[in-house]
Amino acid sequence: MFSRLIPALLAVSLPAMSAAEEPAVLNVYTHPSFAAEWGPGPAVKEAFEEQCGCSLNYTVLDSGGDILQRLRLEGSSTPADVVLGLDTGTMETARQTGLLGRHGQSLERLALPVNWDDDTFVPYDWGYFAFVYDTEQLQEPPSSLEELVNAPDDLKIIIQDPRTSTPGLGLLLWMHTVYGDEAPAKWQQLSNKILATTQSWSDGYFSLFMNGEAPMILSYSTSPAYHMAIDKTDRYQAARFNEGHYLQVEVAALVESSDNKPLARSFLDFMLTADFQRHIPLKNVMYPAIDLGDELPSVFDKLIAPPEALYMDPAKVASIRRQLVNDWLDALTN
Amino acid sequence: MLEIKDLAFEYGPDGHLWRFDFSVPAGECLAIQGPSGSGKSTLLSLVAGFLPPASGRILWMDRPIQLLKPWQRPVTSVFQEHNLFEHLNVFTNIGLGIHPGLKLDESQRQAIEAGLERTGLAGFGPRMPGELSGGQRQRVALLRAILRRQPLLLLDEPMTGLDTETRKILYAMLLEEKARGITMLLASHDEEERRILADSHWNL
Amino acid sequence: MSPHTKAAPFSHPGWQLWPGLLLGTALLLLVALGLGSILREAGELDIGPSLAGSYFQSVVGFTLWQALLSVVLSLALALPVATALARYTGFPGRTLILRLMELSLVLPTIVAVSGIIAVFGRQGWFTGLLNIWLPGNGWNLYGLSGILLAHVFFNAPLAARILLQALDSIPPPRMRTASQLGLGGWWLWRAVHWPAIKPVLPGVAALVFTLCFTSFAIIMTLGGGPGTTTLEVAIYQALRFEFDFARAALFAMLQLLICGGLWWLVFRKHLDTAVLPNRRLSRPVPLFARPWQGFSAGLLLLIFTAFLVAPLLAIILRGLPALWPTADTPSIYQQLLPATARSLLIAIPAGLGSVLVALLTLAAANRARRRWFAIVPTVTGYLPLIVPPLVLGTGLFILLRPQLGNTMQGWFLVALINGLMAVPFVLQILRGPLTSLDAGSLQQADQLGILGWYRWRWLYWPHLRRPVALALAYGVALSLGDFGVIALFGSPGKPTLPVLLYQQLGSYRLAEAAGTGLWLLGLLVLIFVSLSRVPGVKSRTTSAASQPLPEPEHA
Repeated sequence: MFSRLIPALLAVSLPAMSAAEEPAVLNVYTHPSFAAEWGPGPAVKEAFEEQCGCSLNYTVLDSGGDILQRLRLEGSSTPADVVLGLDTGTMETARQTGLLGRHGQSLERLALPVNWDDDTFVPYDWGYFAFVYDTEQLQEPPSSLEELVNAPDDLKIIIQDPRTSTPGLGLLLWMHTVYGDEAPAKWQQLSNKILATTQSWSDGYFSLFMNGEAPMILSYSTSPAYHMAIDKTDRYQAARFNEGHYLQVEVAALVESSDNKPLARSFLDFMLTADFQRHIPLKNVMYPAIDLGDELPSVFDKLIAPPEALYMDPAKVASIRRQLVNDWLDALTN
Repeated sequence: MLEIKDLAFEYGPDGHLWRFDFSVPAGECLAIQGPSGSGKSTLLSLVAGFLPPASGRILWMDRPIQLLKPWQRPVTSVFQEHNLFEHLNVFTNIGLGIHPGLKLDESQRQAIEAGLERTGLAGFGPRMPGELSGGQRQRVALLRAILRRQPLLLLDEPMTGLDTETRKILYAMLLEEKARGITMLLASHDEEERRILADSHWNL
Repeated sequence: MSPHTKAAPFSHPGWQLWPGLLLGTALLLLVALGLGSILREAGELDIGPSLAGSYFQSVVGFTLWQALLSVVLSLALALPVATALARYTGFPGRTLILRLMELSLVLPTIVAVSGIIAVFGRQGWFTGLLNIWLPGNGWNLYGLSGILLAHVFFNAPLAARILLQALDSIPPPRMRTASQLGLGGWWLWRAVHWPAIKPVLPGVAALVFTLCFTSFAIIMTLGGGPGTTTLEVAIYQALRFEFDFARAALFAMLQLLICGGLWWLVFRKHLDTAVLPNRRLSRPVPLFARPWQGFSAGLLLLIFTAFLVAPLLAIILRGLPALWPTADTPSIYQQLLPATARSLLIAIPAGLGSVLVALLTLAAANRARRRWFAIVPTVTGYLPLIVPPLVLGTGLFILLRPQLGNTMQGWFLVALINGLMAVPFVLQILRGPLTSLDAGSLQQADQLGILGWYRWRWLYWPHLRRPVALALAYGVALSLGDFGVIALFGSPGKPTLPVLLYQQLGSYRLAEAAGTGLWLLGLLVLIFVSLSRVPGVKSRTTSAASQPLPEPEHA
């Protein structure tokens, strides 16, 4: 049986080997949810290839952290021209590698809740961290972080580990911006409500939240958009917190050692056009980085509007992250 | 001529030594007798190369063979039982004696079939050893030994527990081989076996 | 002198020793180079602060504690299950239980854990029933209890399989004696079962300990919080989130030291842990038993089966809607089928490779006479369990990066590492059967000159067909469900099955992810069932077996 399978398998894999022969190729390192068949990747590839007369290749790495890791390991010999999928948590480390170049883009088109004038990183989408809750299990969710912290212990929540996941780190920064030095004490107060601290968002969402194990999970304020638009259900909603919500921005950057800088820059430019951005809201389930006007799906109007976007400069985050994680560990293990 | 010269084997932890010294003229059968535990089987294993001697020499046609590996020696052993590979059928069991990779030509295949027919086992080629009676298994074992065409046959209680009819067939086969010039070493405590097959006797 | 002028292919004894020895050395080198290149990348290594912190000490403490408890509980379940399976060979569905026992180990963790949660979680079936029968029982999956439960789910079947092998190889005469004396209960255990289990028990315990020691996703999903952190989590954190190579390498070496030390203790006493029976009783011997013993064994097996089946059932129920395309749901088969082909492209070579490596390793271990020669092949069997794949992969990447040009090389590496990771399990399965040929057969084979390739073809292969098939199933299945390694090297947008699963999970396609999980489960079942159909050692001809033998007239 296997001996008959192998030629067939080889036939499947051979086309992948010949693709490298094309003349102008733009190599983009990205992460799975962007490049997935149903993600924005394929549509973006098609639209960009149509206008550039080149070929756009994705190399898919597990996460933003892995993109950075790979870049660091490959150094200036990296075949990547563009990295797409870093975020505010990995930005600073990425900048310090010195492997990224200036994007040279006009950032006036951006429609972010904060001012963005970074000369290395170009945002392509953004969103708020938020607690998503199951309306069938919880009718009145907490209306503030403070209310959540003070809620009775039988309100269970699922969070992610700041040592291993982006939203996990997001919550850590959220608590820090709201509570400052009081944060560790608040974490202790919160700890009895934490049912699980999962390695990744997926583990918590799939294994726990969708199994109905807890009524609330740390996620994004845009999560309900997917459930409403694709799953056609209003069951899962985000809780709006009065203190404001921490902002997450996903960015792309140009690789300094690229031989294709003009092409890479034109891709970054293309990234901030409607042809790219229209795929973001429902395929990446985040807010587009530019104003899409009428093209923004109507479910996005139903999402919560945080009173304030909480945000810390990535350089500041990089400098305090380890301390914050250690404080968090101390607060929760003692 | 098989010559066992001052062959010694160290037995057990106390370093007890067995010594063997005798010879068998070509084409004859020597019967070795002695009580249980006197070293009959050990002697045959030494000649076959399954056990290493402490000292001494084994000569076959004046050439020393005591340092050769079992598969390099001109011998074939037939034991009282467990002569066959239980997971391989009769034909394969015999065939592996002719070529250790079962690469047989047509004449060799025919020789096996003819041999099976001659020993009353026609059509038994595809059978598994587990389906055969003790006598049938022993006939297969002997047939393999004969078809291997090695000049020295080591027989370790080959007839024990077999019925008279089977014995008759096996005696006939063995005597025919002896008449062809095959040299035999027979370890047996069975009077009848020794009387019919052996030309000389040696007491342990 | 010899009738065969041409020696059998590969009949030189060196063929048994050197390939396995070279492979083992290569693996040792690979690990050393992997760790070494991470250390070199890290530059300076400051051991003191990392190891002195209370966080670090509590991590090591917890890792050891949970692994120890998991071993005790897994064995406490595995021992009676194995004894019951060995005694009651006529238990209806025994084959089914054996297949189930093979499955739990190879399921992707996230799929299995979601199944466990659906049964034992706050909203689970079991919890629901428990709350009806025993209100206010205080059952809570999250925390140490959940970790232990999941570890027992993964490891008790593995341990039971190995112990069952030991029990099945009790020499028939001893069983007959026990039967005749009417031994039962304590004395049957004391005189027959325990002596058979005793030699393999430390090896099983060490295997389970290592698997639990390096556990990661289970700990984080079910552990509740950072109080339950293992070394593997710390390694992941250092490598993937803090880019702190020095710490990652340090933790990896510490893990190597602790687990390696444990294996060293076990290996020094030459203990075996083999999964397949190497000798079968021709016919089960009836043993003395009081009626309640049979009843309680049946009940135990029933509960054990339910324990294994319930989470699988939850996986099936959850995944079925996605695989059962109705008019308004898009078919997910367009993604599943190519992903399956890509997965098999990696998993089949990895599985075949792991079997080949295991066979050569065992051959070398059997042949090796000098002490150091014997150590190398043993290391091959256990090292891949202890070295975090992430560390090995990253090290290899650093090592190979100037050459690592295209995707195919990346995939080759993925298959290579997956294959290596499967070797320890494959080795356990093949060890017993490979050493099971009796001395008489070997002597005859020697005399007939059945050596080298011929010996493999005519003596080992018929005995090993089934074990090799099961080993291959494990090798393929372990690679099929693996996610960690492939994620490291990146793929050209075309996912394998586990990557597809994680893509779906990462973009809210939870129903489809459940479908993919079920598809994977189905594929694994298919692999195990189809490979378990490989015929074993024949003792009767198939066609004429039932007919009475025609005795020749003169016989």
